Amino acid sequence: MDIGLLGQYLANGVMLGTMYALVAVGFTLFFGVLDVIKFSHGDVLMIGAFTGFTTYLGIVAIGIENPWVALVAVLVVSIATTAALGALIARYLVLPLKSAPPLNILLITLMLGTALREGVRLFYPDGSNPKAFPALLPTASLELGSFSLRADSVILVSAGIAVIIGLNLLINRTRLGLAIRAVAQDEETAKIMGINYTMIVLVTFAIGSGAAAFAGIMNGLYYNEVNFGMGLLLGLIGFSAAIIGGLGNIYGAILGGFLFAGLQTVGAVALPFASAYKDVFAFGVVIALMAWKPTGLIAERSSDRV
Amino acid sequence: MSSIKIENLYTAYDKADVLMDVSLAVEPGRITCLLGSNGAGKSTLIRSILGLTPPRAGRITVDGKDITGAPTHKVIGDGIACIPEGRRMFPKMTVSENLRLGAYQVRDEALIRERMERVFETFPRLAERRDQLAGTMSGGEQAMVSIGRGLMAGPRILLIDEPSLGLSPLYVKENFRIIESIRETGITVFLVEQNVRQTLAISDYGYVLSGGHLVAQGSAEDLRNDKEVYAAYFG
Amino acid sequence: MKDDVMKTPIPVSLPPLATGLIAVAACAIFGWLFLLAESEVAVLGLVLLAVLAGWGAQKTGLSATLGTAMHQHSGAMNGAIVASLLAVIALLGTEHFPLLMLSTMLLYLVAALGLNVQFGLTGMVNFAGAAFFGIGAYTSAVLTTHTAVPPLLILLAGGLIAALIGALLIVPVVRTAGHYSAVVTIAFGVLFKTFLEVNEVLGGPQGLMVGSMNVFGWDFNNGPVLMGHEMSFYVNYALLSSGLAILAFALTRRLERSWLGLALDSVRLDETASACFGINVVRAKVLAFTYGNILAGIAGALYGMMISFIAPNSFTFSDSLLMVSIVLLGGLGSLWGSALAAVIVVLVPEKLQILQEYRFLLFSVLVIAMLLFRPQGLLPRGVRSYFPGGRAQR
Repeated sequence: MDIGLLGQYLANGVMLGTMYALVAVGFTLFFGVLDVIKFSHGDVLMIGAFTGFTTYLGIVAIGIENPWVALVAVLVVSIATTAALGALIARYLVLPLKSAPPLNILLITLMLGTALREGVRLFYPDGSNPKAFPALLPTASLELGSFSLRADSVILVSAGIAVIIGLNLLINRTRLGLAIRAVAQDEETAKIMGINYTMIVLVTFAIGSGAAAFAGIMNGLYYNEVNFGMGLLLGLIGFSAAIIGGLGNIYGAILGGFLFAGLQTVGAVALPFASAYKDVFAFGVVIALMAWKPTGLIAERSSDRV
Repeated sequence: MSSIKIENLYTAYDKADVLMDVSLAVEPGRITCLLGSNGAGKSTLIRSILGLTPPRAGRITVDGKDITGAPTHKVIGDGIACIPEGRRMFPKMTVSENLRLGAYQVRDEALIRERMERVFETFPRLAERRDQLAGTMSGGEQAMVSIGRGLMAGPRILLIDEPSLGLSPLYVKENFRIIESIRETGITVFLVEQNVRQTLAISDYGYVLSGGHLVAQGSAEDLRNDKEVYAAYFG
Repeated sequence: MKDDVMKTPIPVSLPPLATGLIAVAACAIFGWLFLLAESEVAVLGLVLLAVLAGWGAQKTGLSATLGTAMHQHSGAMNGAIVASLLAVIALLGTEHFPLLMLSTMLLYLVAALGLNVQFGLTGMVNFAGAAFFGIGAYTSAVLTTHTAVPPLLILLAGGLIAALIGALLIVPVVRTAGHYSAVVTIAFGVLFKTFLEVNEVLGGPQGLMVGSMNVFGWDFNNGPVLMGHEMSFYVNYALLSSGLAILAFALTRRLERSWLGLALDSVRLDETASACFGINVVRAKVLAFTYGNILAGIAGALYGMMISFIAPNSFTFSDSLLMVSIVLLGGLGSLWGSALAAVIVVLVPEKLQILQEYRFLLFSVLVIAMLLFRPQGLLPRGVRSYFPGGRAQR
């Protein structure tokens, strides 16, 4: 195999892994604090990407040309909107069902995901067609033999990894993170410590959703396209990654994200004739993994949260 | 110094009444105890004060301020801290993180460090193990963390729920000695216990709860000498 | 409409059986009118009428009377329901489109009954219902065009293949619980459609032609002749779908009322306790999962023959969610609930074409509201009763 091509696969794998990890971390945070699966996560990501796209159109409309200004505006508006959406979902759909059978929350968020997806398809202008996401990052590339390293890819991956590290520091090093971990480990004792439980849950959902919005923008910048259905696949992949890593464990989620990307990449390398089957292959592997290790590769312990 | 006053409290889970018309007062600067057997409703009373199980009727006031049904973090904000039943460590956190959480509502980092040093002075053993995960410690050590965590908030009133539960007699004795010393620092203590003899030995005033009703009260000394109460409730 | 809230029935002058029979007849006439209604205004009016009637039946205690009728005279009532279904088909006679809708609804009901055994009774939610339905349809496409297997057997083959492919999922589904088993079926549901789209042998995104049904030499593409009038060829499919739905309903009801059904119920409520009482939890789950997939596969096989052309887009994850919605809206474990919800989910958007485009949105919002405000569903399942001679209610 050609070294250059291998490098290309590797770069692509790292890119996908970063995106998947960002989505999986959200699932893990939600499961950590509330023991729930919020399946609308992928579609919330899609909303984030569309908000970013709309912001870009708005920025262009008011005559701002500088791509960096546009990028910052896209990120800020998208992350803020999506974080608010995440908190609203937690407040009005997830918390009210907290004492209902756990499957109900999975169902209600699955249905919400469908509603968000269909809402964009039906009500966004020409929403059923893919939208061309602008290339806001410099596209210069460094040629290393047959392997070309593009600046935008490098920036995207570095920024993604920075966000993951930032999230990790937030969870493990700050007062807010301490409260999130406390709620995850023992809700009632956390309340006795004087932690405002509802507030922490809402903030956690906002953080996870904001991370998803970031992944959505990354996805848009990388593929130069956003579409209403992008969240379903990304959500499912993020969910699978979180489960492979043992739900509720933040390192597991990151590992799961990169593992999943690795699987897809290996699948693409090993079965080049069947590249169309790469998603089929990936999900086949998820099902097989679930048969082999039903609770994920890093087994979940009830005390091992966040 | 602060006090709690409870008037005509009714608390229920779903349809089962647990507390019926309970009225009591926790006097400032003293140790007031609540005795009763398993299922008498003792922990429910603590939960009602903390707002974890809001009461159906009645009034709870702290220094005259009505806190009935307030959310837990507000109650804690009013100067109440709790050492919960069964110690309730955050098992995957270190000793210092557990202590830090006790002072969650304190924003002054210097004050937090100062209080933590004081806890380490009281329990030198915890100082050695400050970076150990709380879940890996023995029951007696966890009890120390739990008490230290309760003191970290710098409370005016401390609720202590069954501190002797599941501990060896040596640790029980040590804990009661520490609770007695907490009173000396001016903190009002409300102690809920099953262990009658040792509790009455350090308390100033006591109430007896049975089947959700208050059945007896009096100074600790009177209760100690009341043969009838002893025979009826502590057999 | 029936309801299990056992209010004291307001003394009506008619005995329960007579009331019940009149109600069934009224429903049949309503169904006939509804299927034939042309203008959107008429359809909307009829939907409104149904909502009002359902509400009124609850208020006046009529629903309780109907419950009594179903309970005490189940034979007569069920007979009346079957007879009125046949009557509606006969009355529709030459109307292609309404008959197609009715048959589609009945086939979705068959699949939903299967899902109800998995989800409602056993507590295993299957998010790949449309995939198993699709497996049946693709089986019938391949077998009708490439082999000479008698089409009736192909129906069974559809169920069998669905069960076999489902068997691949059994290990992960049975070994895992709750969220984890949900991800397995969701992954399979998404995988299935992606697979169909990229697989050239199975026609890719364009899909496949399906041969028609043929029972003992009678080709379903010919309309039956009744008293000199040639009827729509869909009458064949409507009759066969009815037969299938009635069979599936009766079987599922027997399963629910049997000791096996009780075992499935106990597995849903508490796996550990069930195992302690000697119930083989794994066997119960395998049974429920396979039963449901067989029903979905058979229904899908007939569906494929009926619409004669199938494509991956008919078997998406959203369609699977629609099937789960039928079970949830009707009420977990409630068979009549599934029937009512199948009518709402399948027929209403078909009749109100403006809604067709919005149906996924509409029903997802409806299910969200249902989960928040009435989680027991429209027609909640009755409580089992074990008095001498008694049966589980409805």
